[in-house]
Order: sequence, then structure tokens, then C-alpha cells
Amino acid sequence: MNPPTAPASDLGDPPQVAGLSLAGSAPYVISAEENRALCESTGVAPAADGSAHPIYFYIATQVGMGMTVAGLCAACEFNVEDGPMMASSRVTFQRPLRIGQPYRVTGRIISLVRKPSRKLGVMDMLEYLLELSHPDGTPVLSTTNVWVLPRRKLP
Amino acid sequence: MNAGDALAPFRIAAASPDGMKAWAKFLHDPNPIHLDPAVVKAKGLGERVINQGPANLAYLINMLQAAFPGGFIESLEVRYVDNVFGGESVEAGGTVKEVDASRQRVACDVWLRAEGRPVLTGSATVAIRD
Repeated sequence: MNPPTAPASDLGDPPQVAGLSLAGSAPYVISAEENRALCESTGVAPAADGSAHPIYFYIATQVGMGMTVAGLCAACEFNVEDGPMMASSRVTFQRPLRIGQPYRVTGRIISLVRKPSRKLGVMDMLEYLLELSHPDGTPVLSTTNVWVLPRRKLP
Repeated sequence: MNAGDALAPFRIAAASPDGMKAWAKFLHDPNPIHLDPAVVKAKGLGERVINQGPANLAYLINMLQAAFPGGFIESLEVRYVDNVFGGESVEAGGTVKEVDASRQRVACDVWLRAEGRPVLTGSATVAIRD
């Protein structure tokens, strides 16, 4: 028999962070050198046509957004040392990523929802949206990530 | 290509701890669970360093790009269901779910496994060339 979990109403409210801007302050540029190293670290050669590895959807948005991973966690009143966990990622590309192209990052926190968890005790589900565009506003991609923030210290 | 066809697998013989050090720099994320097995052990997460989730996703993307040469990944959605630990073998694969010949789009179910254990599950849509 599984132990009982507290109803969501007894867990307290998470910080009110929905809508917090994640816009970056400086353009993100994928270098040919780093793209080559990244491709080789995953067992493939870099593309010869100037396109970057598509996984830069995640890297460019995370590195280029307006705060660090630790800062994003801190905004949610969560210590990054307590181990945020990736739950899901979703991306839609409008065009390929290119080496040497400056990208602008915009985005916001969509929600932070507290839930009981049999495995983690109490957890917050953080969902945030990041978008990449050219400096002139031409859209490149949109991505939504969900992280689990374990709140083991809550009752 | 038809619905139900398997996509050719992409394999990594062993997730490399040196690769994890490189990814810590790519991601600007020095989380020690990717760098120091003692930290992983202290946190009760295992005995070996843990590969970054985006690196696992990159393997899956490599599989899609090899399966559809010249194709363009329009959308990709995954759930992170487990970790890849240093030294583990990794295999990415998938199955064609639907082929839309008029729009030249292929929808696929995709997955990544480590030592046969599910790590990523998800779906993707790829625009293909003639």
C-alpha cells in the first residue's frame, strides 16, 4: 500500500512567478569551433552547410536567456543545489540554426505549480517558454521546458 | 517509407565523462552531478557521473538527421524519464507514425535508451526532401 500524500491545498502556495520575463540582454552567437566540438562529443561531424546542431535550440535559449539556471531556480525560491530535474522539452523550429548568426532570446515563466509526489514528497513543476529570433524579429524557434523542483523540506 | 517502419538506430558505445565536462561549458552549467561521481553518490543518485539531458537529446537528434538526410526537424517533444550514467551504452531510435506525402512531412515516435533502459520518449515531425 502506498503512503498517503497530502492534498495540494495543504502544500502551501509556490512563489508567484508566472509571467516573469526571461528575455536575454545580449545576442547569442553559435561559434563554428564550439559547434564542431559539440557535434564531435555526440559522435557526428558538423554540417558542411553552415547550419548548427539543432540541439542549440536548448543551449542558445538557456545560455542566452536573462538569467542563469541558478538564477531561474532562485526566482522560484529553489536552491539549484537541491537538484532541479528536467521533465520535458518541446521545440518548434521555423528555420535552421546557423553558425555566426546573432540570436535574440525572449521568454517568460508560464507557470509554477505545486504538487504532492509519492517519490519526492512535494514538488513544484516549473514551465517556461523561450523563443529565439533574429535581431530584426524574424522567428527561428519556440521551446517550452518543464522542470521538476523537489521540495523535500516542505511538510 | 511507411507508417510502422523502424528508423535506423544511432548508437554511442559509452557516454563519456570528458564529454560531460565539455557540455558543462556548452550549457554554462557547472552542476557537479555531471562532473564528480562523489557528488552523485552523496546525493544518492548513483555511483557515476550523469550525462546532461540535452546531450541525451542531441543523440536522438543525430538519429533523426541520419534517418532523414537533408530533412528539417520541424518539431520535437520529449519526456526525460531517466538518466544516462558515465560509461553506459546509448541507443536512439524510432518508428514512423504517419507519412503525409502531399506535405512532405513524416511524424515519428522517438526514444533513447541506456543499457536498454528508457531515458527519453517522445515524438518528432520532419520535413523531408524528394
